[in-house]
Amino acid sequence: MKFPKLSRLNLLLRKTPLAAGIAACGMTWAGVANSASDALTEKAESIIRSNCLACHSEQQAEPAQFSRISHQRKTPEGWLMTIARMQIMHGLQISNEDRRTLVKYLSDKQGLAPEETAGSRYAMERRLNTMESFDSAEFAEMCARCHSGARVALQRRPAGEWEHLVHFHLGQWPSLEYQALSRDREWFELALNNMVPALAKDYPLKSQSWQQWQQTDKPELGGSWSFAGQMPGKGDVHGQMQITSAGNDEYQVRITGQYADGSPLKGKGSAIVYTGYEWRANLTFEGVGQEKIKMRQVFAASKEGDQLTGRMFAAVHDEMGMDFSAVRQQSQPDLIAVQPAYIKAGTRQTITLVGNNLGTDVSLGEGVSVEKVVLRDANKLVLQVRAAKDSEPGARQVTVGQAGGASLTVYDRISSVKVVPEYSVARVGGNGGSTPKYNAHFQAEAWASGADGKPGTADDLRIGYVPAKWHVEPFDAQAKADNDVHFTGRMNASTGMFTTASAGPNPERRMSTNNAGNLKVVASVKDGGQKLTGDGQLIVTVQRWNNPPLP
Amino acid sequence: MHNKKYSRLNVKTTLALLVMGITGYSGHAMAINGLASVNKDKTLESGHEYMVVANYPNQLNVLDLKNDSVYKTCQMPDRFGPGALQMAPDKKTAYILNNGYEDIYGVNLDNCEVTFHARMAQQPKERTKTLYAFTLSYDGKELYAVQNPTLLERDHYRVQPTRLAVYDTSSGLNAKPIRTLPSPRLVTAMQTGKDGGLYMAGADIYKMDVNTGEYSVAVPSRNWKRPRYVQPDVLNVWAVQTPTQDFTILYTTARFQEGSEDLNTADWLYGYFNINLETGQTETKDFGPITEIYFTGTRSPKDSNIMYGVLNRLAKYDIEQQKLIKAAELDHSYYCLTVNNDGSKLYLAGTFNHVAVFDADTLERLDTITLPGGDMSTTTAQVFIHN
Repeated sequence: MKFPKLSRLNLLLRKTPLAAGIAACGMTWAGVANSASDALTEKAESIIRSNCLACHSEQQAEPAQFSRISHQRKTPEGWLMTIARMQIMHGLQISNEDRRTLVKYLSDKQGLAPEETAGSRYAMERRLNTMESFDSAEFAEMCARCHSGARVALQRRPAGEWEHLVHFHLGQWPSLEYQALSRDREWFELALNNMVPALAKDYPLKSQSWQQWQQTDKPELGGSWSFAGQMPGKGDVHGQMQITSAGNDEYQVRITGQYADGSPLKGKGSAIVYTGYEWRANLTFEGVGQEKIKMRQVFAASKEGDQLTGRMFAAVHDEMGMDFSAVRQQSQPDLIAVQPAYIKAGTRQTITLVGNNLGTDVSLGEGVSVEKVVLRDANKLVLQVRAAKDSEPGARQVTVGQAGGASLTVYDRISSVKVVPEYSVARVGGNGGSTPKYNAHFQAEAWASGADGKPGTADDLRIGYVPAKWHVEPFDAQAKADNDVHFTGRMNASTGMFTTASAGPNPERRMSTNNAGNLKVVASVKDGGQKLTGDGQLIVTVQRWNNPPLP
Repeated sequence: MHNKKYSRLNVKTTLALLVMGITGYSGHAMAINGLASVNKDKTLESGHEYMVVANYPNQLNVLDLKNDSVYKTCQMPDRFGPGALQMAPDKKTAYILNNGYEDIYGVNLDNCEVTFHARMAQQPKERTKTLYAFTLSYDGKELYAVQNPTLLERDHYRVQPTRLAVYDTSSGLNAKPIRTLPSPRLVTAMQTGKDGGLYMAGADIYKMDVNTGEYSVAVPSRNWKRPRYVQPDVLNVWAVQTPTQDFTILYTTARFQEGSEDLNTADWLYGYFNINLETGQTETKDFGPITEIYFTGTRSPKDSNIMYGVLNRLAKYDIEQQKLIKAAELDHSYYCLTVNNDGSKLYLAGTFNHVAVFDADTLERLDTITLPGGDMSTTTAQVFIHN
């Protein structure tokens, strides 16, 4: 069945990202224990009363309650998707500004506590190559067959609301019960009788953690921050993030950093904090020449407000992104990264320690000595270090004064290479269609044999990501016969980035098929005189037509 | 490739609208995205063999199987989808499920006029889809449709039980059910037997008394009891009307080795359920190992031991020997396989706007009938001889 409206939904969502623009409400929010400020509440309830009550009912309650709306908790992305669905499917007319106000109000008042998003943050962070795994096969088949399980796990509802959701699903997508893994069972009966009670138990509306989180004072996040990240194809990066409060949980952000290869990372933008800890920023970075790259940040702030962790990724090509962690300067001493985090025994190299309130005494562990301090400030230390030839392979906790929390690994030789991710999916795109390419980014992870001297055993020692030469091969005989290597795209030999081919039927292919295929991704790494290879699998497939903020 | 065709179509739309403004029938919205009908009033010729298929933007094509060409093209009201078709026993009226699975129309093929229209929804707040599940009585006087209704309440949806709606085919353009009966869920393809019983392919293949609503399992599928066989997987949305009055549905399954319950060593098999609509005789039979997927399959009217299947290849099996005899490569996927009445030619429809014609014996490609317009989607191709 075709539901062309969904693609409109995608477009709409793409055009108005969560953190786009600023809506001034005129009240500060930090330190306030209430879930949403009075001014925000007043404004949002007024928007609801004037926009939503054609269908929803205001219920007899103090504070105000609305049918359906007041009986669910969701992430900011979840609320955005709900309101966007009301626009697309139910004719809701609402300005972007009012919608932002509602997302903010609902996320603050009916969000998820930090503990409740743990384990599912990959969906908000747009890590679409995550392989999900759930204890309940029934949950995986009944819910996570069509969309991510995380989309479900990031909602809280009472049984009655989960029941409404089941009716909505089958009413909106009546073909779903005819699909594989539905048509083999009484899907509707199972959904109502088994899944509703299970979901109400696992993801209930009321929870202790949410109750506690509502009572918790929420920290202001303005200040100077040190950050460290790791970008596939570029490597380690670190720098400063300057966050300035604009009031109402909104911030101005400036980032100045540097990649390991010396190239700069420089950008600025704005951020909003939802639910007291959900940091969402839209930033524009200077690229090569006049090129600008728009990136988003999806972070969680720690309860104390001195750490931000998550992922920063390109707005259009969200497959391109980096793990990111930041620590507030002048807070508790902390070391967030050692870059690079490995050194070969018997060699000398420059390493950078990134953190906050770094002291003077540096300890790199046994067998590793500082030869020279190249640069030092409270948040960064650049050192020339040497690992003794006979130093024992293994990880060492690094401390600088009272700051700790990162490690340095000494290795003698690389004995195996893994391709990360080992299995991934990329998608064709572009070519005049509505969906951009979804490319793939690979890294070569070096490992040393452990004490047993054999690679691939439990005592192997992870060294870290190392430079590699990249190429792709046909994964199997079928891929070879269909010339997948030629048609599916191109691998950049030095960066490990695979750019997919164009979308649409290709008359040059057997049966005019799309540029889909099955590839073996091979990384070649040199270490001393030896050459090692590792491989992974890349499926290049067709577009993801339905691509809302939560997959 | 599709895009290019559509841009050409759009250029012609204005012209099509002008033509339809003059010829369009009353009581329905116009097919505003459509082309003009072609040979609208060219009547069918008695004794000639034809085929109907539907395609985008929203049309019904009659193909002349004597010279394998497009005989006429009728514009359909409202919007296309899925374009599932059933031919009436009068061999003149085609019934099409369209308008996003929500309406069934009867079309007089002699003049492209819509003579019957039933909206599946029975009340204003209901949204009702029929998932391919409709057919006519053996005498053509009644039309049966399994309906999946959802009540669109103010702030929530409520999925309703499925029902069989029975229509009098002479009810005209605002047809209402003359009776409704509770129906099992998951029904797709349906056909009616000579004895009046309605065969409904769902979790099992049921046979329903269309007057009382009583039904029983005619051919067990999900609940079959075949020693060593796992539950089969069945999805058929193409209720192809065959020259031999056979209602054929493919299944895939696995058969464990004797004394084993290991899927890794099991035989993976293709098979078919068959109901002969004349005699009511049923069959459940494996016809070969699974080496590829077929969306539809049909037996030769010349030799009931020959099974054809199609999706990415056109394949031919010897049923008794459970052996693939021959396979033809295709230029692209085709969903719906039909055969002409003497069993000499195979017609492949669905996807794109090409109906591929193959020699049923040699599997040599004989011709391609290119339809005006676009993709056929999951239309049902139906072959018939005009009375």
